[in-house]
Amino acid sequence: MNKTEHPIQSTKTLLKASFGALVLAVVILVLAVLPAEYGIDPTGIGKKLGLTALAPVEDKVETASLATCESGKEQNDTVEITVPAKSGLEYKFHMQKGAVFVFDWRTNGKALFFDFHGEPQGDTTGYFKSYEEATKSNSAGTQRIPFTGSHGWYWKNESSSAITLVLNTKGEYQVLGRR
Amino acid sequence: MRYSFCIYCVAFVAITLWSSGVLAHGVDANTERFLLATEGVAIGPFLYIGAKHMLTGYDHLLFLVGVIFFLYRARDVLLYVSLFTLGHSLTLLLGVLNSVSVNPYLIDAIIGLSIVYKGFDNIGGFNRLLGFQPNTKIAVAIFGLFHGFGLATKLQDFALPTDGLLENLLAFNVGVELGQFVALFFILIVLSFWRRYSSYYSFSTITNTLLMSSGFILFGYQLTGYFTVV
Repeated sequence: MNKTEHPIQSTKTLLKASFGALVLAVVILVLAVLPAEYGIDPTGIGKKLGLTALAPVEDKVETASLATCESGKEQNDTVEITVPAKSGLEYKFHMQKGAVFVFDWRTNGKALFFDFHGEPQGDTTGYFKSYEEATKSNSAGTQRIPFTGSHGWYWKNESSSAITLVLNTKGEYQVLGRR
Repeated sequence: MRYSFCIYCVAFVAITLWSSGVLAHGVDANTERFLLATEGVAIGPFLYIGAKHMLTGYDHLLFLVGVIFFLYRARDVLLYVSLFTLGHSLTLLLGVLNSVSVNPYLIDAIIGLSIVYKGFDNIGGFNRLLGFQPNTKIAVAIFGLFHGFGLATKLQDFALPTDGLLENLLAFNVGVELGQFVALFFILIVLSFWRRYSSYYSFSTITNTLLMSSGFILFGYQLTGYFTVV
C-alpha cells in the first residue's frame, strides 16, 4: 500500500463533506447539546426527550430568585453547620451580580481550612473565583458579588473530631444550602 | 458494504457520545478540592492531573486523531506530536507564570475549530481551495499554542500556591505528555489495525467529515457558553 500522501478530493466531494458536517453539527447542537447543556431549546424536542432536565439547576433557581430580588427584600439568617472529621462540605447562596453580601462565621475555636468563592450561573467548565482562602477559626466581612451564580464556602476539617460553626448572613440572596 | 457502513456510523456516534460524557476541559470536583487545598510541591498529584486531563479531554484526542490519520511512519508521528507538545508546553508555562488568561469558552471554541481544520485538511480541502498544501507542521504547532493557552487558563482559575509553582507546573506538563503518549498508543493501535483493510480508505472521507462535524459541535457548544454564561 503506497498511499503515503493523503487524497485530495474533488471540489464536489469537499462541498458535500463540509456542508454535511456543518448540517449534522447544527442538528445535533440544536436538538441535543444546547438543550442539555444550557437549557436552550428552540425546537422543543430537547424537552420532549427530557434533555433540558440535564441543564444546570441554577437556571431554574434564577427565575425564583429574580422574584425575591425584584422585591428588594434583604434577608438575615443564622445557621449552624457541622463539618465532620476529616472531610469537607460546601454551603452556598444564589446571588445576583452586584449584590452586597455581609457575613460572619466562627467555630468554637478550632481552625478550618476554607475557600470562600463563587461560581457563575450555568457554567460547566468548573470555573470559580476565590474571594478568600485561608485556615482560620472565624471570618467576617462584606463581599460585593462580581457575577450572578452560586457563592459560598467550602470548609475542610483536617482534625479527627467534628467542628461546628455558626454562620450569620445578611443580603439579597436565596439559600442553596449544603452541597 | 452498506451494512458495514451502518455499523461503522453507529460505532462512531456511540464512541463520540460516550466520550462526551467526560468533561472536556473542566476539572472535576475532587480535583478542584485538591487544587484548592494543596500547598507546596506535589509532583505526583500534578503528574496525575495532567495525564488525566489529556486522556479525558476528547477535544485534544479528536485533534490528535486528525493529525495522525494520514501519518504512516513512526518518525512522522513522533515529529508532529512533538511539534504539538512544543506548542502547548510553551503557552502553558508562559501563560501560568505570566498570569496570561483568556476566556476559556473562546479558547475551547478555537480548539473546536482546530478539529474542523484538521478534518478539512485531511480530505485535501486546503490543497483544492488554495492550490497548494499549507505547511501542516507549522499549523500543528500553532494549534498546540492554543491548546496550551486553554490549559493555562484553566489552571490559573485555581489561584495555585506560588510556593512550588514551577515544580508543580512542570509536573503537570510532564503528566500531559504521559497522558498524550498513552492516548496516542491506543489510537495508533486502532488506526494501524484498521489501515490493513481497504475500508480505511473508502471511509477516510466520511471519517474526516464526522471529525469536522464534531469540531463544529464543540465550536457551537463553547461559543454559546461564551455568549450566555456570565
